Amino acid sequence: IGLPTNSAQECQNLEVERERRLERIKQKQSQLQELILQQIAFKNLVQRNRQTEQQANRPPPPNSIIHLPFIIVNTSKKTVIDCSISNDKFEYLFNFDSMFEIHDDIEVLKRMGMACGLEVGKCSPEDLKVARSLVPKALEPYVVEMAKGPISNVYITGGSSAN
Amino acid sequence: HIQWLGNRIDAAQVSRYKELQREVCDLTKAEEQLDELISKCNLQLQLLTEDSHNKKLGYVRCQDLRQSFDSPDQLVMVIRAPPETQMQVSEPSEGYQVSLKSTQGPIDVFLCPEDSSGVC
Repeated sequence: IGLPTNSAQECQNLEVERERRLERIKQKQSQLQELILQQIAFKNLVQRNRQTEQQANRPPPPNSIIHLPFIIVNTSKKTVIDCSISNDKFEYLFNFDSMFEIHDDIEVLKRMGMACGLEVGKCSPEDLKVARSLVPKALEPYVVEMAKGPISNVYITGGSSAN
Repeated sequence: HIQWLGNRIDAAQVSRYKELQREVCDLTKAEEQLDELISKCNLQLQLLTEDSHNKKLGYVRCQDLRQSFDSPDQLVMVIRAPPETQMQVSEPSEGYQVSLKSTQGPIDVFLCPEDSSGVC
């Protein structure tokens, strides 16, 4: 058989290559999942707001809403915050005397349930139905996979959508 | 080691080699498929959020925010900044500091109120 004499070495190289690719695929899968979550959460939010506005027959007062995108910084009420602002409001400097957390708006949407519980793999059949209806066909297998729970292993979906 | 098996090593190695080759090939395809989906998803999200109707409806209410960080002792600060604003957070060992730097416009910062007025 026409194998090179160092075939053991070749196998090892392939094995390394396989590991590298598996690692990259894992990263890309979580990247894709996050994008899917964002898409679902945003669409859900827009739908909810549209319905609420239709029911109320008017948009909410401007000072009662916050448009995306935004960032949340939260800390204990006891925390002393020292804040300096440039005159043009282009620059801010905050000093906290205690710990704080930073969250993006997507985190808020998730907490509001806009991601249908997919972010933690806790998804009722109805949630899943809604979630699937909010993504293009090609992404449905991923949504189904996410609904089952956090993914530990690399999975490969076919091009066609699952049931 | 099973070196003394002579020819059979080769056979075993050949099949292992082929198996690995096939796996790497499958993974390459899977990765390409993922790349394509990711770029499509990015584009969809961009179109979605830039749509003017969606932009108008893409908001949370103050009460949503309060409920999301529902803890009686929490202070919730909202930051709205133009694109490409830089945010820097210091190492915790050097104190708790956040700096924001915008180049394209002013930054808005306000506190989420606790009262039930529903007004930010």
